[in-house]
Amino acid sequence: MSRKLLLPAVAAIGLVFSQAVWSQNIKFAILGPMAFVQGENHWAGAEMARDEINKAGGISVGGKKHMVEILKIDTNEIQSVPDATNAIERAITRDKADFLIGGFRSEAVLAMQEVAMDNKKLFLGVGAAASKLGINVEQNYERYKYWFRASPTKDVDLAKTLFAVMGSVAQQIRTDLKKEVPKVAIVAEKTAWTEGLIKAAQANLPKMKMEVVGLWQPSAVATDVTAELSAIKRAEADIVFTIISGPLGIVLGRQMGELQLPAVAWGINVEAQKDGFWQATAGKGNYVSTLDTYAEVESTPKTIPFVKAFKARFKKSPIYTAATYDAIFSLKQVIEQTGTIDAEKLIPAIEKMEYVGTGAIVTYDKRHDLNWAVGKTSGIAVEWQDGEKVPFWPPQTKGMKPFKLPKH
Amino acid sequence: MKGLLALPQWLWAQLRHEVLVLPSRSFVFFAALLLLVLPLFYDDPYVLRIITMTAIFAIFAASWDLLAGFTGQVNFGHALFFGVGAYTSALLSHHLGWIPWITVPLGAVLSMATGFLVGIPCLRLRGSYLSLATLAFPLILTGMLFAFPDFSGGELGISGLKRLVVSTVGNYYVAVLPMLILCFGIWKIGDSNTGLIFHAIREDEVACRASGINTTRYKLLAFALSGLFAGLSGALYAHFMRVAGPSALEVALSFQVVIWGIFGGIATIYGPVLAVFLLYPLTEILANFDMFKEIRLLIFAVIVLLVLLFMPQGLTPWIRDKIELVCPRCKNRNVFTRHQCRLCGAELR
Repeated sequence: MSRKLLLPAVAAIGLVFSQAVWSQNIKFAILGPMAFVQGENHWAGAEMARDEINKAGGISVGGKKHMVEILKIDTNEIQSVPDATNAIERAITRDKADFLIGGFRSEAVLAMQEVAMDNKKLFLGVGAAASKLGINVEQNYERYKYWFRASPTKDVDLAKTLFAVMGSVAQQIRTDLKKEVPKVAIVAEKTAWTEGLIKAAQANLPKMKMEVVGLWQPSAVATDVTAELSAIKRAEADIVFTIISGPLGIVLGRQMGELQLPAVAWGINVEAQKDGFWQATAGKGNYVSTLDTYAEVESTPKTIPFVKAFKARFKKSPIYTAATYDAIFSLKQVIEQTGTIDAEKLIPAIEKMEYVGTGAIVTYDKRHDLNWAVGKTSGIAVEWQDGEKVPFWPPQTKGMKPFKLPKH
Repeated sequence: MKGLLALPQWLWAQLRHEVLVLPSRSFVFFAALLLLVLPLFYDDPYVLRIITMTAIFAIFAASWDLLAGFTGQVNFGHALFFGVGAYTSALLSHHLGWIPWITVPLGAVLSMATGFLVGIPCLRLRGSYLSLATLAFPLILTGMLFAFPDFSGGELGISGLKRLVVSTVGNYYVAVLPMLILCFGIWKIGDSNTGLIFHAIREDEVACRASGINTTRYKLLAFALSGLFAGLSGALYAHFMRVAGPSALEVALSFQVVIWGIFGGIATIYGPVLAVFLLYPLTEILANFDMFKEIRLLIFAVIVLLVLLFMPQGLTPWIRDKIELVCPRCKNRNVFTRHQCRLCGAELR
């Protein structure tokens, strides 16, 4: 062979070889609002899963090892629903993703779900809690069977967790403060998603032997809630039941401390899940507690190693969208079990699967939603105590610490 | 035989003497032709999806230009009409099970009625007061939708809607054909006597009234027509996305259409349409490059700012002034290479 032909021949062989290697990768499209903390955690969780799986040799499909490739798909869904659907279409038809994982804003995920189902691609939701996503599976199984909600539990189950923890907090108040009927003030940001939870709280709390002393609905971006908190103080509330996803959570925490409100805050407070909450409240966010997913407790045998590794790598704690890690590992489990990446063959296996993840023990119901159970998929509750985020519920989980009440 | 040949001959004459004589018209003609034949040789679902969305938003942008550009009723809440079209079609489909071919036109009609109703309180307002008042309408509708979540789907909206047609190519034509027809229709309205009155209202409403024109009637007509076209685009959007949610009424969408309008050049119709065809795919194109993914919105903002800084009248008037010359005598346009007007023979420079 002449020298002139040698170079193109080598290049061609190299190209063919690299194509062959490339095509062996299993592609997971990680969908999320990458400019936001939710998307950052989607990606961080996926990166950890990819690195661990590839370090161990990849995923075995029918005896052949395949490397994991993750595709960062910025859905921009918080700002634009059409952007999200364009992004998932690109992931499927251009990037040729084998699996879709992620999503956050429910309205956008509903639209993305349609695109994924049109293309018959397995879509593991990690982030959106709207029940409708699972109801679709129940109502039209043949079309929507490719959808599974890997994390978190659906909105109705989140409410179950909230009331389960509320019962536990109320019991401690009864025991420690000798108050048979604890008083509860509901503080919910004035947005649509809180309405269902408000109604549920107003209906359920009296049945749980608690008195609802009032409902306060400040703006989601309010910078001062002293008027509301003063009224709550006068009403002698023992618990401030929070339903807050935005920066209001910081304002509430700080001003509860400033007013020395003799009450605990329990509920959803997304800001209080973040490591920077204590600093943001200028050290005044004591006794603020919230639902959370990860802490250094033995929710499962994998939780503590995962949280420690995450903190070591990213210098912060994971939030619930980091469950992309579990979504990838759970798919690895069923792929290796079935020996295929064919969605049609994987679906029955996922439906029957029990996967021990880092934040939950995953089994799916007929809506492809997580089966809710305390200690398995319910998540955890944490309370800020003197600058530390302390996990306290479910109490039977190893590593939980006592819940503290403010001094009266 | 002679009769059969007459139509193609007439069409060719029109094309040669009315379209191909001007670069701007030639560009629009060939762009429209390209859009019509594109799926025949390029059927990438992702690209077709982007163009479908672009076509839907192009109708929306043209409808804004008819109201704000031509009539001077600068609407900062144009998403209201888009949302009314989307929700009407979605709710009729969802609750009554009607097919989208019926609900989409009904969505447009209800949006037209909304335009008429919204126009009434806006008659008393002018300038920035009008703009601020219109900003409130989509917020009011959003509040109403959230107040009845069982009916409207609340925060999640109505999902699982049926598409007008199943295939990707079919959906492409369902958006592109109405876009071409409606944008041409809106442009013809702007070019008609009615359009002239819209122009006059924008320039000097008092003088217009003094000339015996019932400006109230024409302003309401502009609101209603704008609502009709925006509503149709909203209804098409809902059935293409298969979701009609609160994002269809977002303030961001109302401002997006203002950006498209000003970027392309107001009171032109083709300007905002071209702006959508440039700006909407731009962020998607940038998303395909790793180095631009994170900063694509920043790049988008910089491009818009630069265009507005150096082309204050918008992109299309700037380009048109470069490639075409206006005859000083008959005011008709000519390609910039000509020295004499194609119609009256006057010296062009």
